[in-house]
Amino acid sequence: MRVVIAEDSVLLREGLARLLADGGVEVVAQVGDGPGLVAAVDAYRPDLAVVDVRMPPTHTDEGLRAALEVRERAPGTAILVLSQYVEERYAGDLLAGGAQGVGYLLKDRVADVGEFLAAVRRVGDGGAAIDPEVVAQLLGRRRKADPLATLSPRELDVLSLMAEGRSNAAIADRLVVTEGAVEKHISSIFTKLGLPAVPSDHRRVLAVLTFLRV
Amino acid sequence: MAIGQAAAGTPGGGSALGRALAPLLQPRTLTATIYLLVSMFVGLTWHVVLATGLLLGVGTLIIWIGVFVLALTLLAWRGGAWLERRWVRAMLGVDIPDPYRPLPAGSLWRRARVLAADPATWKDLAYLVVLFPLGLIWFVVTTTLWALALGMLTAPLWFWVPADGGMALFNDGVRANLVIDTLPEAILAGVAGAALCVAAAWAVKGMAAAHGAVALALLGPSQNQLQARVEALQASRDRAVDSAEAERRRIERDLHDGAQQRLVALAMDLGMARAKLETDPAAATALVGEAHEEAKRALAELRDLARGIHPAVLADRGLDAAISALAARSPVPVGVDVSTGRLPDPVESAAYFVVAEALTNAAKHARASEIGVRITRHRDLLIVEVIDDGAGGADPAKGSGLRGLADRVAGVDGHLTVTSPPGGPTVIRAELPCGS
Repeated sequence: MRVVIAEDSVLLREGLARLLADGGVEVVAQVGDGPGLVAAVDAYRPDLAVVDVRMPPTHTDEGLRAALEVRERAPGTAILVLSQYVEERYAGDLLAGGAQGVGYLLKDRVADVGEFLAAVRRVGDGGAAIDPEVVAQLLGRRRKADPLATLSPRELDVLSLMAEGRSNAAIADRLVVTEGAVEKHISSIFTKLGLPAVPSDHRRVLAVLTFLRV
Repeated sequence: MAIGQAAAGTPGGGSALGRALAPLLQPRTLTATIYLLVSMFVGLTWHVVLATGLLLGVGTLIIWIGVFVLALTLLAWRGGAWLERRWVRAMLGVDIPDPYRPLPAGSLWRRARVLAADPATWKDLAYLVVLFPLGLIWFVVTTTLWALALGMLTAPLWFWVPADGGMALFNDGVRANLVIDTLPEAILAGVAGAALCVAAAWAVKGMAAAHGAVALALLGPSQNQLQARVEALQASRDRAVDSAEAERRRIERDLHDGAQQRLVALAMDLGMARAKLETDPAAATALVGEAHEEAKRALAELRDLARGIHPAVLADRGLDAAISALAARSPVPVGVDVSTGRLPDPVESAAYFVVAEALTNAAKHARASEIGVRITRHRDLLIVEVIDDGAGGADPAKGSGLRGLADRVAGVDGHLTVTSPPGGPTVIRAELPCGS
């Protein structure tokens, strides 16, 4: 997998590059701002761009905007956005074009190297990785006649992990149950929430996130 | 609110003659003359409108219609005073700020009561009533002076025109004792007319100043109001300084007690792990794991602290997004209704912290099970309301959080009210001016 890193802090950029290289991911370019990212993607056509939200010159959300531009110019490029804060609203912007090859994680997640590398691979392969904190924000939203109230606690756990973009196997692993049990929970969740059953993990994430965001 | 005509385009300010002639050459003299001539008619119109409205209103009070007629009349004269302030500014150069108390949001009845209780409303009425007699004086003096001055000034051009052979300056009908009927007389009259023009300009200047003073006294804020405003600003500035100071101390304490302690523990764990790396690899691994956890906790703490100082999402996406994020993190279910666009930063910030503090209080102290947040805009007031169904009994005088909040709100010239009877519900309401 070939990756471009866009991060303005040199310390973190070097660290990320080393971490990814150690994990067997090829880092083809490192840049420090949004235009740099767009140029690097044009030049190298990487599989994945790892992007910091806040970069110069305004230090607000140019990373996000550059990521959206990359999506437009090179639609095949997977995007993993890292941020000091995660907010549901930014996730919405990012997911507006679909959840295929999209990741949005808190920067802190880098500290759990194994988890982080798994997320990088998942996003690079066209999957999704949504930060648990975003999912928690989505689940925490109050709805009128909340259909989430009909879910059992276990089903809520499964829903959260699905929304994070994890596969059945990963969910089973995390909850220490069998994959069969996970599948049963998932079909029950889809029935209770009135969602159409979707076979692939990728499309499932979008269905769940769309449901949670509305 | 200075009387600003003295400085306006004074030509030849050096010589005494220049100074004497100055008013004649100022454009302000022309606009002031127009104002003085027109004010009588404006005043007359208001006399008619007010007399009609008030009499009709009082007369029909018994069948309730009068209430509406009186209310309409009141609104009309407030509007008239508003117009008059702008007219006086444009024509006389006297800047009069609107002296009104801020109108509360809420029912029509509540607004009407504040309107009627505002002394400025009644001073407006007084002004419109005196406008006619004053205007009458200005009209008579101005027309007389300018007619005489201009008539005499131009006498050499037309003194022969009147049928009885000359221009009668004074004629009692029996013997015309001041008639200009020769050229030298006419030239003399012309010179006198020029002098009268200067005098008329000065008179206009004087009358304009007098009228400006009356308008300022009746249409402008009273001395008490200004004094109270200065004191309120002084107090709110002091409290803003205090609250900024307290905020800095809190941040220092949070950093010291939180992230810094965690980093110390982390460094310690790592140091011990390094020492044990050779001798006891198992223990070293455990210590590194602990250090890793400690580092993640420090990160989370720093993030929360930074968010508490200023949330990035507020600056990037505005109130709606920031409040939604707050609500999502609240342990108690929060209903959010934000119907405003982007506002000035200090206002957004104040509104955000009102909600943040109110949510914290409701969850922590009031043990609420449901919270509602509503942010709406009424003209140039932003209304922030947080309602919870908790135990109530919140007192701004006791809790430093609520008092700090009041200070923060006062810092942007806003107003915070807390209604929290024992047993609830608690309503925290902030009114923040947000420009227009």
